[in-house]
Formats: sequence, structure tokens, C-alpha cells
Amino acid sequence: MSEVHVYGVVPASATPELAEQGHRLIAHRDVAALVSEADRDGLRAASVLRAYWRVLEQAAAVTTVLPVRFGTVMTGDQAVVTEFLEPAHDELAERLKEMAGKVQLTVKGFYEQDALMTGVVERSPTIARLREQVRGLPEAAGYYKRIELGQLVAAEVERERERDAHGILERLRPLALEARLEPPSTPDSAVHAAFLVDGKRVDEFSGAVAALGRELTGRIRLRFLGPLPPYSFSGEDATAGARAWA
Amino acid sequence: MERPRPSGLADVIDIILDKGLVIDAYVRVSLIGIEILTIDARIVIASVDTYLRFAEAVGRLNIAETDDSKGLPELLEGMTEGGSRSKTKGAVEGVKEKLGIGDGDEEERERAKPRARRRRRDEGEE
Repeated sequence: MSEVHVYGVVPASATPELAEQGHRLIAHRDVAALVSEADRDGLRAASVLRAYWRVLEQAAAVTTVLPVRFGTVMTGDQAVVTEFLEPAHDELAERLKEMAGKVQLTVKGFYEQDALMTGVVERSPTIARLREQVRGLPEAAGYYKRIELGQLVAAEVERERERDAHGILERLRPLALEARLEPPSTPDSAVHAAFLVDGKRVDEFSGAVAALGRELTGRIRLRFLGPLPPYSFSGEDATAGARAWA
Repeated sequence: MERPRPSGLADVIDIILDKGLVIDAYVRVSLIGIEILTIDARIVIASVDTYLRFAEAVGRLNIAETDDSKGLPELLEGMTEGGSRSKTKGAVEGVKEKLGIGDGDEEERERAKPRARRRRRDEGEE
């Protein structure tokens, strides 16, 4: 039997709509796994990632989806049932029920570069002094000093990020069912926060993000993404849970 | 809903990676090539490359003058695709935007990517 790429878990009752979208499902009692054949020859990570994102996005438009961690491949349909859907059935069924009608909204913020750097230099006399020294040195001679300067700046940016990320999280938390900070993934990241929001409050939440974005103009540029399947809320103890399932 | 503006892979990678239900390692098969892609986001922040770029960024600031913003280089350009994009857009981009990755204009986006990042990803795809 050929290997399958497991994208997510959906209620088995949603099978007709999903089949209409061309997705393949492996159902077991009232839960089903959304899968595709895993073509491991000629596999390109980027295209697999695109497919994963698209399949879950389409499915989330018609039903509740619990994403399974990206890149999960199992040995075949039989394994999906006996090693995953059957042992984890109760937990999956319960989480699907919990997530019904809820969506993830993600807020990312990026520092405006000039404002961030100017603030860093103004706040730290050490950085300002080192900056002056480095400016006077030829490129090769100043290499280690520049790394030192960069490290100090990075630390200062980290402090700034800590403040801003928590500030933004707390500001939006009252409108969400759950809220979570994700680690920054770029050096100019100010915040990356995921919110689990009642589907009926998406507009209200969007309004709050827009207002916040206006306040932060000139300092932090916000990106607002969603509605998304609950990537950050499918299983906070997923790893521990998985061990229990095995 | 309005037709979404497509976003690059970089925009969704940190939403997806390391998220979702985990199926036990003993019963799944690992997916070749993905691991390299996952490392990418994490090593960026605490790297010599980032330190040097930060140093360059503060070094080039001309703090004494106030009206020189046009003359400044894109300080962090190349460090992040999100950061180098859309300086002219509104305060909040893509409200309720859906990510249409794979919508056909990927080629154009790939070309627009900073060189260092593109190189890393190509390695990741091999």
C-alpha cells in the first residue's frame, strides 16, 4: 500500500462536501483523516507545503478541521486507521466538537526599520558610542566591533519586542477565546500572535486590529491573516497526547 | 469575499511549522527535505549575519539630520520578505486576507525574494 500524507482531521459527517472538493478521506466512526498520496520521489518541500496549506484552507471553508503537523506521512490507509484514528478517536472527536465554529486569526507585526533603529541608538549610550567608533573604522578592521554592536542592537530589539508583543497580545485577548504568542521568525518581527476567535466575532476582532494598526503606524506595521484552521490550537499538548495514543 | 492577494510562502511557514496534532514518531514516516525548511526561520535571528546587518542599520542612520529618510537605504532589506514588502501600504495589511499561495504568480514572487533567502530555500527543496 502506498504512503499517505496526512493533512488534518475532520468530522466524518463532512465527507460529502470534502469529496466534492476532490479531497480524499479515510473515515473511522465519526472522525476522518484528510490525506493525499505521498509522492516521495521528486518531492519538493515548497510544493508539499503549498498543497498542505491549500487543502486545509479549502476544508476549513466547509467544516471544522484539526491540522495535523506539516510533513506527516504514514505507511498507508490501514495505518492511518489503526495507528491514529482508532487510538486517538475520543480525543479527536472531542477536539473537533470544541473547535466547531471557531477560527484562528493571526496577527504579525514588523518594526518600521528607521524608527526602530533610531530608538535603539537614542536609548542606549553604549550603542551610540560603539556606533560612532565603528563608523570611523575601515570595514575589515571593524569586523568584530561591528558584530559586537550588532549583538547589542539585537538585545535591545529583543527587549522592545518583548514589550510590544505582550502589549499587543493583551490588547486583543479580550476579544478572543484563546490567545498565544508564537516565537518571532524574522529579525524585524515585533509580534506574532495567534488568536482563537468565535466565528461570529471575526468582524469585531478585525475592527480592533485595524484600530490598533492605526495607533502603531510609523512604528510597527501589522499584518492580519485569517480566518485560518486552528494551527496553533489543535493540540497544545499534542506531543504528550500523541505519546499516549501510541 | 474579496479575491485575496497572494502571499509568499515565507508568510505562512511560521504559521504552519511545528503546529498541529503530532502523530507519534514510531508510526509515521518522516518526510525528506522538510527538516531543512524548518530550520530556516530559527537560525536567522541569532546569527552573525543578522548582527552585521543590525550594525550596518544603526551605522547608516543619520540621527543628527531629521529629513534624510529618503536617502537612507532599506535598512533591513533582505532580512525579511515581510519587512521589505509594501512600505507604501496601509497600517494593517490584508485584513481578513486569505493566503492564496499557489495562485499562479509564484514565479514573480520568487524572483522578488532576497537572494540569501532564496538560496536557502532552494537548498531546502533539493
